[in-house]
Parts: sequence; structure tokens; C-alpha cells
Amino acid sequence: MPKGAFSGPLERVNDCCWRIPKSYKEGMRVDGLIYADDRLIEQIRGDQAAEQVANVAFLPGIQHASLAMPDIHWGYGFCIGGVCATDPKEDGVISPGGVGYDINCGVRLVRSNLFYQEVKPHLATLVDELFRNVPAGVGRGGKYHFNKKELRRLLGEGPAYLRDRELATDGDLDHTEAHGCLPNAVPENVSDRALERGSKQCGTLGSGNHFMEVQVVDAIFDDEAARTMGLAKDMVCVMIHSGSRGLGYQVCDDALKKFRNVPEKYGIELPDRQLACAPINSDEGQGYIGAMCAAANYAWSNRQLLMHQARESFQTVFGRTWQQLQMSLVYDVAHNIAKLEEHTTGGTARKVWVHRKGATRAFPPNHDEVPSIYRGIGQPVIIPGDMGRASWVLVGQSGSMDQTFGSACHGAGRAMSRTAAVKHAKGRRIDQELAAKGIIAKAQSWRGLAEEQPDAYKDVNLVVDVVHKANLATKVARMRPIGVVKG
Amino acid sequence: MFETFEHTADLGLRVRAMSLENLLEEAGRGLFSMMVTNLQEIRGLQERTYRVDGTAVDYLLFDWLNELLYTFESEHLLLADFKVELDSEGLQATARGESMNLDRHLMEHEVKAITYHGLRVEEHTDGWFAELIVDI
Repeated sequence: MPKGAFSGPLERVNDCCWRIPKSYKEGMRVDGLIYADDRLIEQIRGDQAAEQVANVAFLPGIQHASLAMPDIHWGYGFCIGGVCATDPKEDGVISPGGVGYDINCGVRLVRSNLFYQEVKPHLATLVDELFRNVPAGVGRGGKYHFNKKELRRLLGEGPAYLRDRELATDGDLDHTEAHGCLPNAVPENVSDRALERGSKQCGTLGSGNHFMEVQVVDAIFDDEAARTMGLAKDMVCVMIHSGSRGLGYQVCDDALKKFRNVPEKYGIELPDRQLACAPINSDEGQGYIGAMCAAANYAWSNRQLLMHQARESFQTVFGRTWQQLQMSLVYDVAHNIAKLEEHTTGGTARKVWVHRKGATRAFPPNHDEVPSIYRGIGQPVIIPGDMGRASWVLVGQSGSMDQTFGSACHGAGRAMSRTAAVKHAKGRRIDQELAAKGIIAKAQSWRGLAEEQPDAYKDVNLVVDVVHKANLATKVARMRPIGVVKG
Repeated sequence: MFETFEHTADLGLRVRAMSLENLLEEAGRGLFSMMVTNLQEIRGLQERTYRVDGTAVDYLLFDWLNELLYTFESEHLLLADFKVELDSEGLQATARGESMNLDRHLMEHEVKAITYHGLRVEEHTDGWFAELIVDI
């Protein structure tokens, strides 16, 4: 495994895009394109993420280019922040590594009718209540248990199944990407091991970079879009970042095990085993697609139940129902997923499997898949930052369809390894430093906070600037955290 | 012996041992050291046995660690003491540990999965060496 800085070619395309020409490595089928400005590209050169962009260009059936968003960082196999679209009609492949272990890791934003001054005196109580009510951290199960039969329904239907149990509303489903249900889901393709891991984890946050944050709308950049989303300056919101928990990890793991000899079987040459893939039109490929889509539906259900528990906590603290608090879902987006979508490349409209590994769908105004209420402004794109600085709400723009298969960035991107972050935090109390900035943070472990400290991340504002400038998605609102709950 | 090493978003595990059996045992400890800070506090109260087939040493290590991870995920059992025996078809192992107790065990990372990225198992003149990256 090569280590250290990327030494390959990076040619400037324009102010916010760089090319790795396909001549760089024999076997690349298309160029690599990295969206970054001069400042970010220097950070990106620092590790092997760009090499991974080049490696993804080996995948059969890849269209246009192997793409990377400005929050790109070194992953395993695919870089994190990568986008690649493959055409089934050109022997295109599906790659579990292009989705990631945490299938449909994603983010949702919930608004309220509360404003900062009103919440401030109750903030400590609120964060305590969220920390108590929302299961987080290693090995903590949730309060929603599903037997195998129920779980299979959940995997097939997503949060619509929870609506029948009064844990979700029609409005929630309307404001969830794909209505929280991928039609290609085949619950029978999900192994017993995955079901076992998922049976008690729906409605749990997990650990790592997952979080629940109480945030305040700090600045508005697009009045009309903010108004349409129900956002106003100083409004208190909740952002939730989690995925498909053990169920999704197991689905990915099962597929990678099955795929061990598949590239060889189909004569596919890969520079990294973690890029293992299968032709979309193969039994192996279809088997994974069915299971992956089912895991995606589970993830949307997980975030739905996390939101439900957040609403319960607000009800407890403020003594009003969540409906009275107008805690409606602004939107929920996936950022680790592969989806069959129609895109135009080389003048031809085609149905492609868009792999978004650490990238967010960013469909423009008037796209059929954008909920009717947002049709005029574009799809909300929720970008979590770090716990000390900012998160963002953007809206998708036409540039995403022209350049990135309807995709934008997914977060700040790590700047420091976990080990380096812990060293950097030695002798410090991250929670006290955050408290000095008016942010109450509660985590199950000191190490969790240290690894996720603000300094460990790139400045999300720089990442968002590039996305805005490239017209992939434009700025609507900047959010600042005031309460953080982590595993 | 084992140690963790840096990887931007995840964590690496590096293991060295005199024999392949010992390498697999140490890797088991290494895996749980990423999940629990105080590995020495895990008492050997319960035992599990494992059978993992495979002759490719890298996949054998991978599949072995995956079995251990699944035990933790499905039973919340923390394991710290391993005995591995190799035969012509793979490995036979016993592992001892106890149920996770949040009052005594300082839980650290949730290991989502073992990855194939950079997976290496090699025999050197002075013993065995392995490297792998886990998804955090």
C-alpha cells in the first residue's frame, strides 16, 4: 500500500477543478477529476486519496470521469468524497467499496419554532435529555426491537413501515431522499448475521463521526430557499448523522466476501482488493444490489427513529408536543449509497448506477425527484461540519447534473488521522474548550471527543465555497452547533 | 505484539509474532484493544470456540477477526485471551472473555468492519507480520 503524499499529475482544469489524466496509469478508463481550490488541493496532495481517485477509474463501465468532491480524503479502496457512475449497458459494475460499510450513512435536519434565546437557559437540560434518551456509543442497543419478520418488512419498506406504528408521518417520508425506500431492495438477500446485528440497533447513533447536534441558524445566504425550508436566523434545529449500523456493515462485508473471486471470474483487473466489484448484470451484482438497497431502507428508518427520540426529548424539556414545536423534517440525504439514476453523458441519456461514497445527491430545481415544495429551489443538501465550527444547508444546482452526476460534497473531510487528533488533544479538555464557545458537548468517551475535535477536520467553509463556486450546490444557511451528543 | 497505526479516517493494526498461530492470537487482542481501552480488565469468564476454514493466510486472518467482531456485535462479549491451532484446512480456536460491562470496561471505538485495503500477512526471517485497516 503506497503511503505518503500523492506524486502523480494534477492538472488544473479551472479555479475549482483538477484533472488526473487517464494516461497516468495503464488501466484507467477515464480521467480523474477532483473539485478543489488552490488551498484544498495542497491538503489533498498530502495523502493517497488522489491515487484512489485514479484507481476507481479502472472500474468497467465507468462514465465521464472518476470524480472527487472537495472534502475528499484517504479511504480504503475508494477515496471518501468519491463519485463514480457505471452503465449496465457497457458492462458496468457495482462495487460495495464504492458505497462503503456504512450503507446509507447520511444526515437529516429537523427545524423547530424555537429560537436561540428561548433555548439557551434550557440547553444543558436539553443536551442531558438527548444524551439520556438517544442511545449512542459502542455496544449500546436501542429501545426499538424488531423480530426477523418485522425487520424484513422494514428493509423492504423503509420508514413507511414506521408510519404504520405512528413513528413517522407522511411529511417525514416526503422530505426523505427517495421517500426513504429504494425499490430495488430485496430483504431476502440480507443474511441472518446482518439481521441479527440490526435487530436491536435501529434508532441508535453508533460512534465514530456520528452525532446528534442542536444547532442554530447562524447566517442566511438565500432568503427564498431558507423560507421555503422553514429556516430563519437564530432558529434552533437538530441535525442527525448516522447510517445503517451493524446491519449495513454486515451486508457490505458479506458482499465483499462473496466478491473475492468475482473480478477474476469476469476478467476485471483491479489495483486494490477493496475495489472488488461485480457486473451489474450478474447474479453476484444483483444479489448485492438487493441487499444494499434493503440496508439503505434500514438506515433511513434508523435516522427516522433517532429523529423521533429527538422530538420526544424536546417535548420533555419544553412541555409541548413536537407538532406544537413545529419540529418538521427539512430533508434527509444519503451520502454513502449507489442509486440507479438517469444522467446525460456524451449527449446520451442513460441509466447509470451512481456510487456516492461520501458525497451527497444535489438535484437541481425542477428535477422530478425533488419534493414538490422544493421543486422551485432545488433539493436541500445537508452538509455536516465539525462540532466547533459550522454545518451547512445548500440547494442542488444544474451544475451538478452537468459535472458530477447530480452530486456535491458530504462534509468537512478529515485533516488529521484519529491517532494524530488524540495526540493533539493530550492534556486538553475538548468539552471545556467547546463550552467556552457556548457549545455543550457530551460523549460516551473522552477519546471520541478528541478524535472528532474541530481541529481534526478541514474547514467546512472552504469545502462549501468550492461546491458553491462550481455551481454544484449553492449556499442557503450556515448552522452553528450549540449542543453535541456523540458516541 | 500489536500496535495501532494512523490512517486518515480509520485505524490500522500492525501485528508481529514468532508463529502464525501467535500472530492470529495477537491480532485478536489487537482488535479488542481498539474497542476497549482497558483490555486487562476483561476476565476470562466465558469461552467460545471457532472453526475458520481457509488456506490463504491473509483471508484466514481476515475471516478470524470477522468472527470475533461478530461475537462482540451479536453477544456483547469482550474477548481478550485466545488460543489458536492451525491444521491443514484452517484454524481451530478458543477465546475467553466476559460480557461487556459499561461500569468496568472503558469502551473506545466501534469497529464497523475489517477492510481488505492494505491487508498483508507475511512470513519474514524473524517471524510473522500482519497489517490491516479497520473501518471506524
